[in-house]
Order: sequence, then C-alpha cells, then structure tokens
Amino acid sequence: MPHHLELAAVSKSFKANKVLEDISLTADAGEIVVIFGPSGTGKTVLLRLIAGVEEPTTGKISIDDQDMADVAPEHRDVGMAFQNFALFPHLNAFENIASPLRARAQGDAQVKDGVARVARLLKIDHVLGHAPRQLSNGQKQRTALARALASSPKLLLLDDPLRNVDAKLRFEMRLELPRLLRQAKSTVLYVTQDYKEAMALADRIAVLAQGRFVQVASPEEIYRKPATVGVARLFGDPTINLAETTVGPDGAIDFAGEKVAIDKSYAALAGRPVTFGVRPEAVEMTKDKGTGLKAQVMAVTPLNERTVLLLQTSSGAELLASLPSSSAQIPRAESEVRITFNARGTHLFDRDTGATLGQGSRP
Amino acid sequence: MSSELVLKDVDKIYGAGAIHAVKDLSFTVKPGEITALLGSSGCGKTSTLRMIAGFETLTNGSITLDGRPIHALPPAQRNVAMAFETYSLYPPLTIGENISFALKAQKLGQADVGKRVRDMAEMLEIGDVLHKYPSSVSGGQQQRASLGRALVRPAGLYLLDEPMGQLEPQLRAVLRGRIKHYLREHKCTTILVTHDQTEANALADRIAVMEGGVLQQYATPAELKARPANLFVGTFIGEPPMNVFPVEVRDDGKTVNFTITGSDGQSLAYAAADLPQAVRTRLQSETALMLGVRPHAVHIGRSGLKARVVTCQWLGDQTHIATEIAGRTVVSVSHEQITAKPGETIALGIAPHDLHVFAAGTGAAIAHGAELV
Amino acid sequence: MDHTSTFERIVRGILIGLVLVFFLFPIFWIVLMSFQTNETILRIPPSIVFEPTLSNYSALITGRLETTAGNLDIAFMKNLGNSVFLSVASVLVSLALGIPAAYAFARFRFRLGEDIAFTLLSFRFAPPLLVLLPLSLYFKQLGLTNTYIGLIWVYQLICLPLILWIVRGYFEDISPDIEHAYRIAGNSWWQTFRKIAVPLAMPGIAAAGLLAFIFAWNNFIFALILASADKQPVTVGALAFVTASGIQYGQIAAAIVLSIAPTLALALYAQRYLVEGLSLGAVKG
Repeated sequence: MPHHLELAAVSKSFKANKVLEDISLTADAGEIVVIFGPSGTGKTVLLRLIAGVEEPTTGKISIDDQDMADVAPEHRDVGMAFQNFALFPHLNAFENIASPLRARAQGDAQVKDGVARVARLLKIDHVLGHAPRQLSNGQKQRTALARALASSPKLLLLDDPLRNVDAKLRFEMRLELPRLLRQAKSTVLYVTQDYKEAMALADRIAVLAQGRFVQVASPEEIYRKPATVGVARLFGDPTINLAETTVGPDGAIDFAGEKVAIDKSYAALAGRPVTFGVRPEAVEMTKDKGTGLKAQVMAVTPLNERTVLLLQTSSGAELLASLPSSSAQIPRAESEVRITFNARGTHLFDRDTGATLGQGSRP
Repeated sequence: MSSELVLKDVDKIYGAGAIHAVKDLSFTVKPGEITALLGSSGCGKTSTLRMIAGFETLTNGSITLDGRPIHALPPAQRNVAMAFETYSLYPPLTIGENISFALKAQKLGQADVGKRVRDMAEMLEIGDVLHKYPSSVSGGQQQRASLGRALVRPAGLYLLDEPMGQLEPQLRAVLRGRIKHYLREHKCTTILVTHDQTEANALADRIAVMEGGVLQQYATPAELKARPANLFVGTFIGEPPMNVFPVEVRDDGKTVNFTITGSDGQSLAYAAADLPQAVRTRLQSETALMLGVRPHAVHIGRSGLKARVVTCQWLGDQTHIATEIAGRTVVSVSHEQITAKPGETIALGIAPHDLHVFAAGTGAAIAHGAELV
Repeated sequence: MDHTSTFERIVRGILIGLVLVFFLFPIFWIVLMSFQTNETILRIPPSIVFEPTLSNYSALITGRLETTAGNLDIAFMKNLGNSVFLSVASVLVSLALGIPAAYAFARFRFRLGEDIAFTLLSFRFAPPLLVLLPLSLYFKQLGLTNTYIGLIWVYQLICLPLILWIVRGYFEDISPDIEHAYRIAGNSWWQTFRKIAVPLAMPGIAAAGLLAFIFAWNNFIFALILASADKQPVTVGALAFVTASGIQYGQIAAAIVLSIAPTLALALYAQRYLVEGLSLGAVKG
C-alpha cells in the first residue's frame, strides 16, 4: 500500500533565506504525525506547502501517489486549521463550518447535516448562529477545527490549533483530540511547539530544527533515545541536565569532579569527550551515606504534582531533580542530600556534533 | 532588607462606581516572604499591584510597609522595586546599563556596581548580552534584564508583574530555582503577580487566589491543594484540574455510598469507619453535593467506578488517562508509564482521604479528605 | 485624568463653539443667500431678516435667468446632470480597475510593484496644470476633447490613485490565512477574491469610493479646459452666473447649495462605513 502523503526532498527558500531544507517524510492513511519544533523553524511553512498555498522551491509533494505540483489548493482535499483560527469574520459560525461543504456543491440539507454533525462532535451546536467576534477563544478554536473537519478531508493539517487558548482549555482539548481525529479517519499532520502535546497526540513525531528534520520517531523513542542533544533538550520539563565531561576507562562518568558509575555499556566509550545528560526524574535521592554525590538543595519549586529541586554540588555544578510530590524523600531547602542517577534516564552525546552515543538501559 | 506589607480593607472602584475592581482586600506578607497574587485576567490582581506600587489611588483602606502607611506616598518614596510585565527597559541604554542604572542612587563604587551587575547577569543567564541594546535581544532576555534591574536594587518590597511569562521553556525551571533561592537568601519581601498557577506554586510561600475582585483564599500552595476553600479554588488550582461530579450520599450505618448523579448507580463505597462521625452527620444534612478528586488521587485498580478509557497519553514523566463515566470526563494521572487502550473499561478507585466535598449551590467546601472544614 | 474643572469645561465649550462657527457659518450664510434676491444680498448693512424667495431655485431649475440686462439661458440642471454622470462613471471605472490592482499590490510581490504603485500615487502630487497642456493636445489628436469618455478618462487621474492606495491598505490588513482557509475549503482564486477579500475590504472600498466621488465632483480645472458648455459639470457651470450685468450672488448660492447637497448626503450616510472600516481590527482574529 502506498503512503498517503509523501514529501521527497522538499526545500523552500524565500529569496536567500532557506526556511526548509531537504524535508522527506511519509505518512500512512490515518496516521497522526506531529511536526514539532521551536518557533521559527519553518513548521507553518511546511503545512502551507502541503496545502498548496505556497510552492516548494525544490522537491516533490505527493498525496495518494499523485504529484501535487500542479494541483491547486482547492483540489487537494485537505482540511486545515490555523493557529490564528482564520475564521471568516463576515460569516457566522455555521457558514464558516459550511464553507467546505458548500464549495463541494452540496445541497442545503446535506450542508445542514454535515455542519450539525461536526458541531455536535465539537460541542458548539449552541453557538452556530454567532459571528466569530461573539465567540469566546475556545469556541473560535473549536469552530476552526470544525471547519477543517467538516468535509471529512483525507488529509488534515492542524497548525498549532491549541496555541491561542488558555491552559485549561488546551488540556481538555488535548484529551479530546485523539478521539476526534480517530473518528475523522484522516491522515493528520499536527504542528506544535509544546512537547507534551506532541507526545500526547502523535503516532510519530518529526522534530524540526533549523529547517531540517533531526529525528522522526515514536514519542517513546524520541524521549528515551533522542538522536541529538538538541532533541533531548526539547523534550522534558524540566529540561534534561547536561554536563561536558569524559568517559573513564571503566565507563564511569566524571561528574562535577567525582567519578559516577552509571551503566556498564558506557565502558565502550572510554576516553571519549562527551556531553552527559541526565533527566531530572532520573536524579534520585539516597539515604545511604556511603553512595552518591553530595549536593546542597538551593530551592524547592513545586511543578504540578511533581517537585523540582535545584541542587548544587560541592564543586558548584547545578542540577535539577524532579520527584513526585507525594514522595517521602522531598528534602527542605538549604539541606544536604546525596543523589544517584537512574541509568535509564541518562544519555551520552558526542561533544562536538551533539549526536547520540547511547543511553543507559539498566533501570 | 526585610519588611512586612499589610493591606487592610482595600477597595478600588473605577469611574463613578461602575467597576468595583478590588473588594475589601486584606492580607499580610510577612518579612522575607514571597506572596503570589494569582487569578485570571480581570480578577483585580493587577489593580492591587498598581495600588501597592503607587500608580493607582485607593478608594478605601490602607497599605502599610514596615508599619509606615505608604498608600498616600508617590511611587518613588515607597521603597519599592518593580519588574514590569512589558519590561520597560530604557531603549538608549545597554542591558548592563539598564541594570546598573537601578544602583545609581546607592552611591556605590564603580567596582562594586560592576560586580553586582555581573553577578545578577550570571544568575539570569544574560552575561553575554550585557553590552547589547534591548531592541537587539530576544523577548526572554529583555524580560530577564527587567527582572535583574528590579532585583539588583535594595528595596523593602519587590513587585514582580508576570516576571517569567516570556522565558524560554528550557531555562524556566533553573531560573525559578535560582530566583527563589536569591529572594530567600536576601530575605526579600516579594509580591508576584501571575495568571500562571505553575509559576505561583513554584515560587510562592503563600498564594492569594483572586476572582472578581474578591480574595478567595490566602494560603500556602500545599494548603490550597489539600484544603481549597471553595469549588472555584479547588478547580482553579492544580494541573490537570480537579475532577468534579455531582453526587448523592447514602449512609446505612455500615457503608457510605457516594453515587454519581445520572450514572446508573455508579458509586464509591466506603466503610463507615473510614469517615468520622462528624463528616457523616454533616453529609446527611446536605442535599446537593459536588465531589472533587484530584487526577493524581484517581487510581486504576480492581474495584471502584467503572469507566471507559477515552485516551491514554504518556508524557515522559507521567501518564494522563482520560476516561468517561456517564458522559463526564474523569482524568487519572500517574507518575508511571501505563498503557490503557481506548474503549476498554477500567476500574477507578479513590481513597477516602482524597475526597473533597463541596456544597453544590454555594461551592463552599464541606469536607476535605476525612476532615470537616 | 477623569476630573475636569468647571473652568476647563467652559474653555473647552468656547473653543468648540469657535471652531463650529468658523466651519459652519459660511454654509449657513450660503443657505440664507440662496433664498434672497441680489438686492437684499447686497444691501448695506447686511441683515438676517429678509423675505425669502425661491426665485433663485426656480431660475436654476427652469434654466431661465432674468436679469436687468435681459434674459439669459443657463444650463445649470444639465451641468448638475453632467456632474452626477461624470463622477459616478469615473468612480465606477476606478473601482473596476482599482480593486483588482489594489489586491495585486497587496498580495503579490512582483518586480517593480512598489515603483508602479508609487508612480500611480504620484499623479495625485503633480499639479493638474502640468499635464493639462499635453493632454489637451492629445485629446485634440484623438478626438476626445469635449466627450464624456475623455473626461471620465482624465478623472481616473483623480480617482484611481485614491482607490488604489486606500483599498490596498484594507486588503493588506486581511490575514492571508483567511483567504488560504477559503481556498483550502475548496474554492477557486476568483471565488475567494469575490467572497472573502472584497466583502472584508468593503468598508475601505466604500470609503475610498466616496472620497473619489467627492474629489471628482469638486474637480474644476480638467473640465474647464477639456470640455465645453454642454459637457461641463456644476463647478465650471457656476461661472455662467458671472454675467455681463454683474454677479448673480443669489443664483450662485442656490447653485452651491444644490451642488453640495449630494456630496454632503453621501458623506453623512457613509460615516457608518468609515467607522466600521476603522474598527475592522476588532472583527479579525
């Protein structure tokens, strides 16, 4: 079975400014692929290229094995939701949602049914008569989604649709979206710069940095086996702790002036200059006075149901640890603790290229 | 520097009684404590901050800092340092000059000023942009510079207006830790205004939750989580938010049943011994109740409420599972990586000490855990 | 500050009064004059008390002016008709040309685009006298002198730049995403232009059209040189009242009242559009 969507070596430049370079990606029918990256990495441009409102400088975009080069946006059978909603201000919510149905020359009864179906799904049936300016932010966002879904397009492009709604609404929608998208049966390209959204929604995540894909993989693989130090930094809250160091002959890491044994497999990298990474949730407190690294608790900052500790080792290195708030081990500020690293949350990266050299496996 | 701030019966009415922005607000910030004013936009937190800073007059009430009434003084005489939400850096000065400008009045030596600015810049990770102008650095860097300018100066009170909204996500956790440590170490009495409860929880010793110009609760972050004064605070504080559903209580002397309204008799059953007599008596006297349970207290187990899984999302350090009971979404959060298939039915258990009971009409809290309010 | 002293309020009232008198008194006086005969107008000292007469208006409407030196035929109604026809036609032609052009300048970046747009605007800066001499020569060659088509064509120099630049701004204010959304929904470029871009720019189009109409209506010099009596608008036609037996102030006043009435009515009506146009930002987003 051919891929539903295929991008082959797509590049896009605006004058001398290269926005996207050598982008290749496939998506199967019904798959949810999240394009993730910090702002200004060309995510939106990529969606525009697929929608057909911009043309790639080089490369080929095919949908269902058909080259899209000469296909106008209106003939691509895609639905798109925009970050700024882009509702038609002079049409009410009903007409906004109806626009893709009307364009497909459906009868009034069909249009009414179609709009009612998605409106119910998105719980906006009671505001269909409202003009966009009378809608709350959440309702605007749902109307924009409903419009994208209305014609049951085979390909759905969602450009950071939850960006402009408040935290509570964003959380609710994050839980609600998977079911909606499953029901729509569309292939979905979803753009976001919130790593939690990406992990929660994606079958696969494509991480975009400086106009290129640095890793395309499942959420679990991205989190457990980040391809570069950059990817590791983008996933996780708090951010992964990093330290430049070298691997000792027995695989131990020289961390803040002390030898820390973590994972035997690291011995293969002995003598290599590396960037050592340890996720805050893999920094663990130990009561055993004989083991672990001594550190001072500088500050205790609760983060939802976890508690983040800012630690400082005796050599002055800073380190973040994250523990469940229910844990009995949460120390007080200004106290002394001993820490160990859970190998499962540790990573080694090449110090020059940033590429991964491996990660700890022993839990 | 360590001063006590007292707000007493403060009112703010705009226009001719048209907008009552702040209603009868009283609270005390102890010396060296960090208080967060938390609420959504229009809740009165910004008006309160502006009254403390002196940009706004009080309609009623008083504000005293260190026993000295300051509400009638011009801003410059209040001994207050402020970081503005819009940064308000001086465009013709470099980032370094902006920060040292705040020390002009201190009559310090060149070297001393230089050291203080460098230390502050190092803490806020802006050491490499000190020579640049505000217009040529990122929003996050401008915000950190504005924060640095406020913190570098000795003052009786520090006012931070949404000080971390623009910070780069990768820096946020470290900076929260460093700033909290700095404020502690220097015993700064601080008021932090924010709409972001994550920030308030991370930094503040006490949080004043405001809504509609009224102070809803003033307590420590842990207290707000464990003993919210009403349904508003209960659902406002906590991320993901508290699950809430209407329940009917039946108590036959041996078991206490919380039946979810409209759910075909789905109920949580507890041995009568699990709940104190006082709570049981009170629950029986109430007619309409709302039951609140934090997502972290909803455990997937063998018995309990039968719920259909809607989505299961693993976020790296926690799993969020959304389920449905009688058309209502119930969220369960775990620190472990768990998998649950959409569509399957699971059992949700809730321990008695994790229950929050509110009166349905007023939203006032009745019992938290196994204790009466 | 929300508190103003009584003194401030009084001063403000006086100042506003002065401005109103300065701008509205001439109109008020003209309206009074239009109901008087030449004799009462010219009497010294002038007086506000007089016996109103409709003779000026009837003279204008019937086209017969009776003066002491004899009767004179005037073509005021014809001139008024010319004004209406010339202005309406020029604005319509300008809109037809200007809206697509404004859209192109707003949405597409093409070579020399900015230069072309600026050149079109510069027609508004150039004094009309500069182009009149060559124009009148061309018009003679082309046989366009004293034709409606010729006049409507020159009026484009007035209307087109206005419409182009005002409407362009409105098009630029519409988020391209809104148009993209409509296209992706399955509509062609032309439908998107018609159903989204033009309706959303409508307040701007209305405002620009109105301004162009007023400028076209008020134009004097083009018609003076390029047209003769039967094609002339009211602005030029009013010269007919400077007769051999003196200036007919009463008729001039009546002619002015009649000729400003349409533009005044239009301006009052279109105020709504101007305000709507300015608050377009609140609708978006």
